[in-house]
Amino acid sequence: MKEVKASAAIRVMLVDDHSERAQLVEDGLVSAGFEVISVISSAAGLLFQIEQHRPDVVIIDLQSPDRDVLESLAIVNQHNPTAMVMFGQEDDPDYIRHAVSAGISTYLTDGINPARVRPIIEVAMAQFRSFQGLREELVTARAQLESRSLVEKAKALLMTQKNLNENEAHQLLTKLAMDNNQRLGDVAHTVVSTLSAFETRK
Amino acid sequence: MPESSRLAPPEIDNISLGYMRLTDAAPLILAKEAGVFKRYGLDVTLCREVSWANLRDKLVVGLLDAAQLLAPLPMTTAMGAGGMRGQLLTGLALGLNGNAITLSNRLCHELSDQSETKFSPLERAEQLKAYLANSAEPITLATVHAFSMHTFLLRLWLQAGGIDIDKDIHLIVLPPEQMCDSLARGVIDGFCVGEPWSTVAVEQGIGSVVASGYDIWNNAPEKVLGVTQQWHDAHPATHLRLRLAIMEACQMLESPEQREAIALTMSQAEYLNLPSRYILPSLTGAYHYTKGSDAVVIPNFHVFWKYQAGFPWRSQAQWILTQTSKMLGKDISAEQAQSLIQQCWRPDLYREAARLLGVPCPSRDYKSENTHEEEWSIESDIVLGADKLIHAG
Repeated sequence: MKEVKASAAIRVMLVDDHSERAQLVEDGLVSAGFEVISVISSAAGLLFQIEQHRPDVVIIDLQSPDRDVLESLAIVNQHNPTAMVMFGQEDDPDYIRHAVSAGISTYLTDGINPARVRPIIEVAMAQFRSFQGLREELVTARAQLESRSLVEKAKALLMTQKNLNENEAHQLLTKLAMDNNQRLGDVAHTVVSTLSAFETRK
Repeated sequence: MPESSRLAPPEIDNISLGYMRLTDAAPLILAKEAGVFKRYGLDVTLCREVSWANLRDKLVVGLLDAAQLLAPLPMTTAMGAGGMRGQLLTGLALGLNGNAITLSNRLCHELSDQSETKFSPLERAEQLKAYLANSAEPITLATVHAFSMHTFLLRLWLQAGGIDIDKDIHLIVLPPEQMCDSLARGVIDGFCVGEPWSTVAVEQGIGSVVASGYDIWNNAPEKVLGVTQQWHDAHPATHLRLRLAIMEACQMLESPEQREAIALTMSQAEYLNLPSRYILPSLTGAYHYTKGSDAVVIPNFHVFWKYQAGFPWRSQAQWILTQTSKMLGKDISAEQAQSLIQQCWRPDLYREAARLLGVPCPSRDYKSENTHEEEWSIESDIVLGADKLIHAG
């Protein structure tokens, strides 16, 4: 056990191929008062980086192929005098579930007290989740935008081909959606594909 | 296929099956693409993962139902070696052999300047020993996982050459996708890895194969189909159907035409995402040790069905466990070993499936290992492969 480490700040290394997310996690950790000594991507020579920076904790994206590299450091030998082990293997089965669903995995240098690492992991998990949330919002926003432009296109086609005004076209789309129990975007899609096929035939 | 009336209905029909980007994922991909899973009433989604750690973790927390695993993984996971602890088991091995040791062309040239000569795996190991005796620096070799047949085979090859692994070799772990790049950049001097990655190194002109896995241990265990104990207990009928479908696919891969076809399928972006010329050599057994050299015929480079390739021998589990405990520097008592092996390796599950398929299978759980130079048979009609180990000349 390394007693020295108990009083010193815990040195964190981040391994993440998403630089925006890594930034988010680093900011979160730093503003919570933790020391982030290095942020690297996969394939940046993890073993060399660990040898050089000697982190106490490595937080790694679950989707990084370097996880098997980290786990090989559990074996102590001449080239690897200090073991690193996965966090949370013993006590708390729910922790693993949470970490996997947040998309992170954590490894500690042997001798670091897991209780001191817990808050670091909490921050990292929260940041991973909020990044995921932001991305989902972006996807939703994009889908909404696409659906809106489809509706506009459907309305325009209805107006020219069926001689409707904009309001009538809109009402027709809404009625079709309600009658068929579909979303407006889906109805618009059907209308656009039907009417534009008709238009090309003409 | 057994009559469906003889099979209990599956408890669930949507299955997530994890695999790695390796040629020996062929049976899983074939079972999906040829509709074998579907015939067994299973809607299987194949999930490509980037690390063995991921496959294990996702199995343990239930994000995957089943997964292709390195043979040592069920037992090392039960021991909590390196990563998380969990109760995994296998009732089906996914094939024999499939690996190769590749050294950088730079190092090969240092070992011998007779680039035209084809040296035996043992000659190569002996050349390496001679080279190391005159070299101040250890060389760095990589495998894809600490607890893998790759590591064990690499050690066997080095030992056959009389090399002091702890002194002269820096053994590290790298993901398969980083092997070729690291070899080209001189970060490592060689590796032991599953196909297609040695062929990729050969084709790219950065490395040469010095030994196939078959050269080191004829018909060695390699991957297994892993599930958690808990999942198996809750879904015995689903698990049985899954094994039956994969066994049928393994049997289909006896046909050379089928192997050529699956190489094309596997080259697609969603699977291996590599040109089929990298996947074909090990599957057809016309294998190239060096770029531009004549093909060496290794018909058993991958064995998926014959020689009882799917049978999870407990004698092999015992061998793996002994090697693992040596690496960990941890003694495992005979009772502990016995209970781990019985928990994790389930030949009874293989027999259950084999009976339904009407194919012969061994009634014993253990066999003598590494004592047969040729094919041999047990229990009158069961043919097993040679199991010879490379050893010092």
